[in-house]
Amino acid sequence: MKNDSHSPACTAHATQPPPPSFLPSQFPLHLRLPLPLSLSLSLSLFFDGSWRVQSRRGCVDRGAEKAIATVVGARGDAGQAGARVALGVRPGGRAMENADVILGLHDFLERMRQPSASDIVKSIKSFIVSFTNNAPDPERDSVIVQEFLNNMEGVFRKHPLWAGCSEEELESAGEGLEKYVMTKLFSRVFASHPDDVKLDEDLSEKMALVQQFIRPENLDITPTFQNETSWLLAQKELQKINMCKAPRDKLVCILNCCKVINNLLINASIASNENPPGADEFLPVLIYVTIKASPPQLHSNLLYIQRYRRQSRLVAEAAYFFTNMLSAESFISNIDAKALSMDETEFSSNMESARALLSGLSADVDGLSSQTDSAGDYMPRAGQMEMKNQSSNRTPATPPKTSETKLKTKSVPYTSNQASMEKIPSLSDLENKGATMLLKEDQIPSKLQTGGPNQTETVKKSQDIHSEPQEDMDRTDDRVSLIEEESLVSKSPLDEPLEPQGNPVGETS
Amino acid sequence: MGCSSSLPDRASGRLGGLNSENGAVNDAKNLRVKLVLLGDSGVGKSCIVLRFVRGQFDPTSKVTIGASFLSQTIALQDSTTVKFEIWDTAGQERYAALAPLYYRGAAVAVVVYDITSPESFQKAQYWVKELQKHGSPDMVMALVGNKADLQENREVTVQDGIDYAEKNGMFFIETSAKTADNINQLFEEIAKRLPRPTPS
Repeated sequence: MKNDSHSPACTAHATQPPPPSFLPSQFPLHLRLPLPLSLSLSLSLFFDGSWRVQSRRGCVDRGAEKAIATVVGARGDAGQAGARVALGVRPGGRAMENADVILGLHDFLERMRQPSASDIVKSIKSFIVSFTNNAPDPERDSVIVQEFLNNMEGVFRKHPLWAGCSEEELESAGEGLEKYVMTKLFSRVFASHPDDVKLDEDLSEKMALVQQFIRPENLDITPTFQNETSWLLAQKELQKINMCKAPRDKLVCILNCCKVINNLLINASIASNENPPGADEFLPVLIYVTIKASPPQLHSNLLYIQRYRRQSRLVAEAAYFFTNMLSAESFISNIDAKALSMDETEFSSNMESARALLSGLSADVDGLSSQTDSAGDYMPRAGQMEMKNQSSNRTPATPPKTSETKLKTKSVPYTSNQASMEKIPSLSDLENKGATMLLKEDQIPSKLQTGGPNQTETVKKSQDIHSEPQEDMDRTDDRVSLIEEESLVSKSPLDEPLEPQGNPVGETS
Repeated sequence: MGCSSSLPDRASGRLGGLNSENGAVNDAKNLRVKLVLLGDSGVGKSCIVLRFVRGQFDPTSKVTIGASFLSQTIALQDSTTVKFEIWDTAGQERYAALAPLYYRGAAVAVVVYDITSPESFQKAQYWVKELQKHGSPDMVMALVGNKADLQENREVTVQDGIDYAEKNGMFFIETSAKTADNINQLFEEIAKRLPRPTPS
């Protein structure tokens, strides 16, 4: 119980539980138990959530950070100096915010441990069980989950446990609930329909092909706003979408991508005295970035967010940028010669040669980051993503020209490593390499992440954790069952050891 | 659902009121509306919004985030406030088919053209027809001729704009994002035309 999640926020931060991806694997087990769902599992979940879950306020309006990102982005490259500037300024604001959020979630979890929370705990458990027992039906499932979340938020609001609480605390309770429930239901509802799987595959194929030859001009991106090097940062945000399971976390990946693009556009417009960028500038870049990033299971991810992100929270700016992503998906899936202002023959010959290229690489691309499995393949996925980026680098084409000098320099080691592959990398391949490198250099991109949680950090932490996950999980599970009993079965005060400032279980008994 | 039985009945009803969703409307005094901007690229859609948002001297307004999504609240004389959530759309031809994703659920559509560009006026008419066909029937629609400061280059007469708007039951105004002429009027007029929720 040393790592009791009731310890202060900072401690909670230091003891990161494993990523949520582990949890659903245990789901079947829960189903067999009379008291299936474990509260402290939710604890670790929430705590893991707290690395990335932060207040909505943080997600949407952080003027100061935006300004920083704007300044840094104005440098127009991914330079370390810029990163340092951003990182140097950020911690203050972020620390405060995390503290807020951690306190909020912490508070919620503490309440869940109270005997009087047993009705809530019971509701959540029985919801998950009955949901899982019903036959899947995407539309109805979405309605049911939305109603449940809505109802539970109503319950929280009236419940003595939250008496006198701020809206913010209630909000974070709602976020925690959504994350918990959806992580539990994830494997059941995500990409579970064969049609969706097919659409994901089609879309991935389309992006894989089109990214070989598309140019910014094909989408009406004017030279002023072209900055492929920096767009890598936006691509990277989008590629994280399968690293998390909660609808909100997935949405945040999209929003971060959009914010990076927005900042880059604003910088470009300031630098060139152009009018501030609007949708005429934004959407084309988002589409371009999406094609280049080729995020895994894009269609399923968007459907999932649409269905399971709490509707009352998918509004305003988040709704706008999410709509842009839907719109990018729609555009990409319908791409033809006309959509790219290409002549039919040129388009089909481009598609043909891209196809020929890819077929030579299909072995590498096989099984690429499908998120339907759970548990231990969390990091392997990330690994695959990198592999994929590298493998697709074998595309032959003309060597890079234009403004990619920086990137070119960075990519030198890769290029020489691949010398044996008898092909010269194309511009977009180099970009991919750049993205790969960025994925490794976790620190850099946070400079352009203006509102979202520091996901790079999250990824890194989960990597660290990965080396010793099993123990942690076991320990957590033990605690789980104890808490279960505490809050659901025996409400006797003798069970004090489970109280927050927890004495080690052994000592109390 | 096992869970629902344990819930007090009143909870859901009350919450529905508090959390009014995707709402055009919060309550009778404070409206929140989704406004979508349509029009050819280059007619100044985003400039209109920026001018509107910057013109109100609110230091907290998010002017640094680009103009694709902005929100701005205005107070009307009858002491109601209207919060506009302004959704910009890409005006290039190749993106035209995506517009329905944006105007779905919008309470207001502002169709913008450039008075120096007859093509953009044609395009505006295309959008109006599109909205009439596929938009929500109670959507408030405005036709805006922008760049009114460029009188010497004018190619679309004021009368053409008025006539077309009248025929289609739209509100019409000419604006200049550059000089800020009529920008606030545009949004105030829209606000006045919004259907008010009936007090329940």
